[in-house]
Amino acid sequence: MKKQQTNDVILQTVTKIACFIILLFSFHIFLAGHNNPGGGFIGGLMTASSFVLLLLAYDLKTVQNILPVNFIYVAGTGLLISICTSAGSFLFGAQFLTHSFGYFDLPLLGKTELATAVLFDIGVYLVVVGVTMTIIQTIGERE
Amino acid sequence: MALQILFNFILALCWMFLINDYSAVSFLSGYAIGLFSLFLLRRFFQQRFYLINIWAIIVLLFIFIKELLLANLAVLKTILSPTLKNKPGIFAFKTELTADWEITTLANLITLTPGTLVVDISDDRSTLYIHAVDIDDAEQAINDIRHSFEKAIKEVSR
Repeated sequence: MKKQQTNDVILQTVTKIACFIILLFSFHIFLAGHNNPGGGFIGGLMTASSFVLLLLAYDLKTVQNILPVNFIYVAGTGLLISICTSAGSFLFGAQFLTHSFGYFDLPLLGKTELATAVLFDIGVYLVVVGVTMTIIQTIGERE
Repeated sequence: MALQILFNFILALCWMFLINDYSAVSFLSGYAIGLFSLFLLRRFFQQRFYLINIWAIIVLLFIFIKELLLANLAVLKTILSPTLKNKPGIFAFKTELTADWEITTLANLITLTPGTLVVDISDDRSTLYIHAVDIDDAEQAINDIRHSFEKAIKEVSR
């Protein structure tokens, strides 16, 4: 990739604000997944898209300095979490991938429904972020 | 630091608008999520992640409380001793701090330490003149100040 000198002040300044709002929205979509449209897949894609916006506004090196994460490991961690939460049902004598939920009185949040499906979703989320970022960064590094 | 806190507040407000729930709880959860995303992209900012500053302020607060207790105990010991053996005197302390609030905080903290009291600050704001109850261990007092207070204050403003 040729280093071109462009003046992206407007793009970079807007990105600084917008990528945080996209991140926030992706977390919202992720958490809304149980009762509303959303979930781990679309949430992960939107998180990755906020990082892609960073990649568009800045160059690859800057983004790797901002996020010194090897995204292959992120995908691996996500898979591990998903497998562990699926296999966790064996501990209670249930079948593979059995999920349960319960109502808990959390401090501050009050009565909250906590489902183990969310843990599985976190795995999906991390896999999607990891895979998307790996694909885009690998293509971007090619000359 | 202030800019990051303000930004975190705005993110928390955005979160309240997103989940359409205008309560203190949703503000707090939005604040936590905004904090997480700020942490994720913390290298984006010129300053460091602001929770470290807040931690430094808490450390400074605890140093203040500890020194307050120790100072009062030291004064108690001096008052209750039957013979007056201390030798009062004034020594100079060269400080590396520059901002006004830093010097003020340092001066107030020195005043609260056992046996020392800030008398005056030089016009170029680089030297503090400190009155010590016992001038014999002034050298040690300088070292103590440099290592505890000055370091803690620098940690806050870095």
